[in-house]
Amino acid sequence: MSEPRARDAAPLILSVDVDPGRPIVLDRVSRWYGNVVAVNDISFALGAGITGLLGPNGAGKSTLLHLLAGLLRPSSGRVLISGRPAWHEPSIYREIGLVPEREAVHSFLTGRQFVDLAARLQRLPDPAAATERAIATVDLAAVADRAVGTYSKGMRQRVKIAAALVHEPGILLLDEPFNGMDPRQRLHMMDLLRSMAAAGRTILFSSHILEEVERLADGILVIYAGRLAAAGDYREIRRLMTDRPHTFRVRSSDDRRLASAFLTEPAVFGAELRDDRLAVQVSEFSGFTRIVARVARDAGVRLFEVAPTDDSLESVFEYLVTRR
Amino acid sequence: MNLLDIVLTIASVTARALLGRRRTILMLLFAGTPVLLGLLVRIGGTRSGALVPSLEGVIVSSVLPLVALVFGTAALGSELDDGTAVHILTKPIPRWAIVLPKLAVAGGLTAMLLVPATIITGVLVGGGGGRELGLTFAFAIAVLVGSFVYSAIFVALSAATSRGLVIGLGYSLLWEGLLSGALKGTQLFSVREYIRGMATSLAPSGALVSVVGAYGFVLAAVAIVVVAALAAWRLARYEIRAAE
Repeated sequence: MSEPRARDAAPLILSVDVDPGRPIVLDRVSRWYGNVVAVNDISFALGAGITGLLGPNGAGKSTLLHLLAGLLRPSSGRVLISGRPAWHEPSIYREIGLVPEREAVHSFLTGRQFVDLAARLQRLPDPAAATERAIATVDLAAVADRAVGTYSKGMRQRVKIAAALVHEPGILLLDEPFNGMDPRQRLHMMDLLRSMAAAGRTILFSSHILEEVERLADGILVIYAGRLAAAGDYREIRRLMTDRPHTFRVRSSDDRRLASAFLTEPAVFGAELRDDRLAVQVSEFSGFTRIVARVARDAGVRLFEVAPTDDSLESVFEYLVTRR
Repeated sequence: MNLLDIVLTIASVTARALLGRRRTILMLLFAGTPVLLGLLVRIGGTRSGALVPSLEGVIVSSVLPLVALVFGTAALGSELDDGTAVHILTKPIPRWAIVLPKLAVAGGLTAMLLVPATIITGVLVGGGGGRELGLTFAFAIAVLVGSFVYSAIFVALSAATSRGLVIGLGYSLLWEGLLSGALKGTQLFSVREYIRGMATSLAPSGALVSVVGAYGFVLAAVAIVVVAALAAWRLARYEIRAAE
């Protein structure tokens, strides 16, 4: 990843309430590997409900979840789970269910054996009953006696979720939980997470897909280059993401005439001809998409191509971090 | 579930993971090498002078550390590498309850292969004479204990570093293979010497010479406890490798 200007910029924090009484608390947490900063001075506290941890690949989402799960020591700051430090404290695992993204599952175990192993290691009084409940919850009963090695990616994801749920934890941490799931499984899982949140659980899931977060989360944390770029209500952050300045690349039957026409529009603040193409700078993504066809028609110009040049999620995140 | 059930549960999963087909075949081949050598010696005519070199030179010095290295590093190191260990680490159980079954299974599998290999090789090379059988069984018992000492060391190494296999190989070849045999004083820290000491104390008198003698049993027990405690301490501070 290139060194972003964001490193020294003040993050846009909509609301971060670091209440030490909440189930999850990060207090000025940083984590670095040698000279590389993976998580940079992040603070937030989460209570019951679903929070989406949004950011591009490599932003530090997994590092943050591993810090919360006590699998990494913070280089500075405190990570608290129900008031106890997450690091070097195995007792927190009674309250946490972790669904890792990359970590493998022993392929020779059946789904039922894998969930049963989790139930036994949680020292539940009736591991068999808890296993059946968790398997039914993720809708995996039909294939529970098949070896995990024969599962599809979506089924593996669900069996990992069943193992994480088996002790009915108050906190659920999920790293990219919808990867590999088909749309039906995705909807089922979203319903499941919603019902768990309604029962008072604290759920934090990571995703690099805005729509997933938008559909499920009550609040979101946006992380980019290890920094907390934004936190709060997803609607507000969504508005910031879509209403940011954009550059569009336009090809038409008469680029010069179209440039003049665009410059009379309030949503457009710049237009220049580059390499036989027209680059149009607009103040607002959605505003420009509404006027572009009308402006071209009124100017008598045929449009061949209209494409945003910086619509990668990464540029959206960078914008959020650099915006003051 | 009490802690004994936890230890047995982890031991059972570890044993299934370690007994993968390719690894089992490779380890059987390793363990079969001294037996094959014994067979060749037997065909060439039984020679009691070859008994100690066969048992100590081949099994104790070479095959035992290699088999224990493979099982010991696979029991924990492979699971830490591929992430399967995360499902066990994120449970409210003391870390020694994870180390102990890993060590026991790795040591047990090593012993299951090498104790019979020691006895068969000993009988093939030394024959059925009382003195030779005494020597053979003395080595078999010493190899049994040594399997657990080596496995404990390699389990601890894989808890400490992701390069447990390479460092363990270097340790086996350089420390156990070369230095501890050549330099006086280093023998107190050599598993090979503990095994020799245990074998000496059990063998017919005068058959073997050792620096540590029967103290080999004490030193081996201390080594297992200390190394297992270090492994549990290290595992309690285990950090997942950089994910991003």
